[in-house]
Amino acid sequence: MTHIHRNHIVQRGAGPKAMMFAHGFGCDQNMWRFVAPAFEAQFRTILFDHIGAGRSDLSAYDPARYSTLAGYADDVVEIGRELGIQAGVFVGHSVSAMIGLLASLKAPEMFESFVLVGPSARYIDDGDYYGGFSAAQIDELLAALDDNYMGWSAATAPAIIGNPDRPELGEELTNSFCRTDPEIAKAFARVTFTSDNRQDLPKVAARTLVVQTREDIIASERVGAYVNEHIPGSRMVIIDATGHCPNLSAPAEVIAAIESFV
Amino acid sequence: MTPDGRIIRVNETMCTWVGMQREHILGKRLHELLTIAGKMFYETHFAPLLRMQHSFLEVALDFVGADGRTLPIIVNAVERLDEHGQPRVIRMALFKMPERRQYERQLVEARKRAESLNSDLNAQVAEARQMAEFREQFIAVLGHDLRNPVAAIDAGANLLLRDGWTARSPMILKLMKASVLRMSGLIDNVMDLARARLGGGIQLRLEPTDRIEETLTQVIEEIRFSHPERAIEASFEVDGEARVDLARIAQMFSNLLANAISHGAKDQPVRVDASVKGGSVEIAVANGGDPIPLAARDRLFQPFYRASGSSTVGLGLGLFIAAEIAAAHGGDLSMTSDTTQTRFVFRMGAAPG
Repeated sequence: MTHIHRNHIVQRGAGPKAMMFAHGFGCDQNMWRFVAPAFEAQFRTILFDHIGAGRSDLSAYDPARYSTLAGYADDVVEIGRELGIQAGVFVGHSVSAMIGLLASLKAPEMFESFVLVGPSARYIDDGDYYGGFSAAQIDELLAALDDNYMGWSAATAPAIIGNPDRPELGEELTNSFCRTDPEIAKAFARVTFTSDNRQDLPKVAARTLVVQTREDIIASERVGAYVNEHIPGSRMVIIDATGHCPNLSAPAEVIAAIESFV
Repeated sequence: MTPDGRIIRVNETMCTWVGMQREHILGKRLHELLTIAGKMFYETHFAPLLRMQHSFLEVALDFVGADGRTLPIIVNAVERLDEHGQPRVIRMALFKMPERRQYERQLVEARKRAESLNSDLNAQVAEARQMAEFREQFIAVLGHDLRNPVAAIDAGANLLLRDGWTARSPMILKLMKASVLRMSGLIDNVMDLARARLGGGIQLRLEPTDRIEETLTQVIEEIRFSHPERAIEASFEVDGEARVDLARIAQMFSNLLANAISHGAKDQPVRVDASVKGGSVEIAVANGGDPIPLAARDRLFQPFYRASGSSTVGLGLGLFIAAEIAAAHGGDLSMTSDTTQTRFVFRMGAAPG
């Protein structure tokens, strides 16, 4: 079966060059809804859902394949090959930043530029390395996930009320954003927050831009700086935004950062 | 809250819940009041969904009080937009719900238990169903195998009744006796099965003996007699006595050898290696041919197992009984199978005392 259906690939725009947007842990391609449209004039934009998220084919989830980020990177490579992407731009949010870099090691010809939004090479502190979380904190997080009372599954089918400010969205919104299979989300969280890709950073040959916000508690400025320093020739831009999801909270800043880079 | 999650207004109840002065709460980012899982959930799910939907309702979120205690809270959040469609302010209504959280946990636990019970049950049902299927096959095979010798005896008796004693009569009686032997062999197997399954294992009459080689040779001769076309190579290394039930060892060996003959490659010899040393015994039977499929190996020593696609008919008890005899001797029967050979080995240590 092709990835078009499996990863719910949505292609827009007419530019000669491809720009692929990859969402991180917690949501789906909707994460890019305020950013991607800005590039449709110059690029062929490609959005997709990781298996287990959004409208991906849940039956394609293979626990062994997706037990490491490499499985997700394989998907990116396969999608790129299927769509014939050469020398494109990869925009990866959160964990998908590393997924994109892993894909570039497997298929260097596919992307010539990488935009990494809120990347982290490793979330857990390790000796001199600062990841932002102690091993105990990540254990607590994963235990809470196993506990499954935190409403992680509530995000699966969010209840929507009529929104007085945007009534036109009422119908579309119902159960349409960030659907995640709770079991797969748990496994994805484990893979994400226990990943360590520090060894892979120096191998990246493509142009790279790290987009960093202030006050990101998941991937702090220090964590982003580590990624930036260890990828040869990488640049970093700190945008005027807070939190882990500037693609939603500060789309204009993210768009400007990408535009100045590509 | 401001759109970036900074708290700008808070009521007295909330201050009491988290055990903090109002002025200490104001200006904080919401995630500072959350547990680690709460922070992650807020950043990866809550904030993005609120931004996209402008509301997020009935969401469980764990706050942490000044004393470090976790406060299970349920949240309704709404994002208000300004005239340009940009987020202006976020309002949240919080409800403390320790009891509800407990019920929910219990529900989750109960569901987990039910799921695990269910999967146990499914496995048991599947096993029982398979066993029942094997039993039915077994009964069919037993009926089939008994009918042939009974028919032969019946035909012989009819001949004798009709013709009286003639020159052919001794031959007819010999055939009838052979049929009786076959039937009693089948009945012995069924009785062994019953003993092994219901009576706590096969009973042995153990005696010290130096006649193991003689017994095995006799079994080999019998099989050679019924399969003159097949080569059987045997080598023995016997030193002293061992404490075994000779008749049962013969039965076990006969089962292994018959199996090797019927399942081994026709153009390759069957190889027997036996040794008795210091009271311990090892008997190996090996044949060439295709290896036993991996999937079949687990079931090999279970009763009613018959090689699929095999043309030979049997009760599927041979290896089961052989393994039971090995176990009754305090030994074991093991199997290795690859493209070179399939080899069954019986091993028992010296009897204590």
